[in-house]
Amino acid sequence: MSIWVMKPKACMAAAAFLTFASFTCSAEEDGIFRLGYLAYPGSALCLVAAQSGHFQAEGLRIQMVAFTDSASGLASLEAGTIDSGAFGAGESLREIARGKKLRIIAGGGVPTDPEASAGIDGTGKKRPDSSGIVVLVAGDRRFPDKVTITRLTAALIRAHQTLQLHTKTARSTAEAQVDVSGMAFDPNPDYWRLEKLWRELGLQDAAMPRDFLASHVYEEIYCDALDRILVESDLNDPVIQQLFIQAVCTPNCCPANSGKLFTTQQGGNTL
Amino acid sequence: MKQIFAAVLMLVCAVTVASAADPDRMRIGYIAEPAHGLHFLAKEKGYFKEEGIDAELYQFSTTAEGLTALKAGRLDVGTFGTAAPLLFISKGSEFTIFGGMMIGGQAIIARPENVANLKKLENYRGKKIGMAKLTTGDVIFRSALLKAGMDWRKNDYTVVEFPSVGNVVEAVKKGAVDAGIVFSPHFTLAEKQGLKVAHFIEDFYPDYTCCRLDANTKDFNERKDAFKRFLIAEIRAYRFYRTSPEETVQIFTKALKIDEEVVRKDTYTRKAFECNPDPLKKGTIDFWRQMRAIGYIPNDYPIEKHINTEVYRQALETVIKREPKDKIYQEMLAFYKKNNQ
Repeated sequence: MSIWVMKPKACMAAAAFLTFASFTCSAEEDGIFRLGYLAYPGSALCLVAAQSGHFQAEGLRIQMVAFTDSASGLASLEAGTIDSGAFGAGESLREIARGKKLRIIAGGGVPTDPEASAGIDGTGKKRPDSSGIVVLVAGDRRFPDKVTITRLTAALIRAHQTLQLHTKTARSTAEAQVDVSGMAFDPNPDYWRLEKLWRELGLQDAAMPRDFLASHVYEEIYCDALDRILVESDLNDPVIQQLFIQAVCTPNCCPANSGKLFTTQQGGNTL
Repeated sequence: MKQIFAAVLMLVCAVTVASAADPDRMRIGYIAEPAHGLHFLAKEKGYFKEEGIDAELYQFSTTAEGLTALKAGRLDVGTFGTAAPLLFISKGSEFTIFGGMMIGGQAIIARPENVANLKKLENYRGKKIGMAKLTTGDVIFRSALLKAGMDWRKNDYTVVEFPSVGNVVEAVKKGAVDAGIVFSPHFTLAEKQGLKVAHFIEDFYPDYTCCRLDANTKDFNERKDAFKRFLIAEIRAYRFYRTSPEETVQIFTKALKIDEEVVRKDTYTRKAFECNPDPLKKGTIDFWRQMRAIGYIPNDYPIEKHINTEVYRQALETVIKREPKDKIYQEMLAFYKKNNQ
């Protein structure tokens, strides 16, 4: 399989290296997608996607890079030494509020008992940001492009499906890396949940435009990936159907998606 | 399709700077429905040109892509449903709804043997209904059922959601759902495949709002005169649609490349929708409330701030001044007063 998982114990040095070394080889150049993740149970969707072959099925060659804290992971993402990362939601939103050009593309694990998981970034303080994991990309890069991000998100949705349908096997796979007990998983980036957290953390500055947060949450990618998987499953998979019911996705409106009845527009321009 | 979209969007992007220098340029995005035909008429009959508007039409396959292009300033006007722009506004997009394009246009389809059991709203209790989430039909039919005392959250009926209306038609055909909510021309195309229209949603929820005209608020406020002339062209197109059905059918058919009989049937024979440029402020606010009731928009917000009816009123007064005895324009004024004031 085309994955390389760095174990948490080894990751601090690696993270520091990845963050600060002059790292010239990008995913675009060598075809390997570097996915950072917080060594925390909420990141299990990434590990399950890797171990279960979902990334590979989406045509992605993934190199997993573990981090023990969100701050260094987010710094690596910003520096371009990883292409995407699964890190703490609260820390990610704070970085976005500080002006970092990050975009949230998917969700992850959320503790079923938030009190027990306070301080997932290693601070030990109980803060209102113990809301699990989000998956992010840098918003100002040519790579990963939309197609690649959609594939990555699709693999995470498949991982959620694996976790739900084959709980024992998948959880045991995930447990090989981290303990996923006490976690609920949802690959949906869920703008409204993030917006609530954003308000609770007091991150909306008066100078920010009203859509500041929405501009950093890429729900369209999740909806595209979910649509595709729903159709591929012949619209029958109960786990995917449930995700679809929970998501607030604008519809694929038109006959362009349902029979190619409308191919070009005379007198106008077909996009 | 999406690659083509991206490539063309890059071209559109490349000329964005030129647009800023041309106050009369209007890049109009729409989705392919006969009911969006006022744009085609205004272009084909030369009304945009006569009103000094340099109009370019761009077809999109999803409302999200269209609204993203509008938000990014790659379009000046968007016609992308009602639910989608309201959802974007709820998340902070600074859009202004300044006109409309369509009223009605959604129907309930079923297999022929099931139609007799779907005559009244009460008949939908316990049924499995397929729909594409956040389409107008989704919001309005759920609202109609809610008013009739049926709530999907209480399992009074089951909603099965699909990514597109094409999937809804397929599910009805296969018997996976008892009924499906689709919009024009899908119900007429579904009839060609042996399905039946059980009802138009207007039967249960008269004069509901469908697709709105949206613009970026900043651009709208800076170019009100251009938007007024744009609306004058659309109002004149509406008059043409009312008075010249046969030529309208030809223009819609040519623009959309679908069966002429389907266009004629939906547009005139059974009048499945009405093309209408009125902003329908009251209906739009009602639609917002329905979206809130369903749970699509958790946070309340003064949506009224994003609806401008004044420029439409000025456009209407301009055409009435030109042709004071025209009955259709007088009807439009009465309709405007009823639905906006």
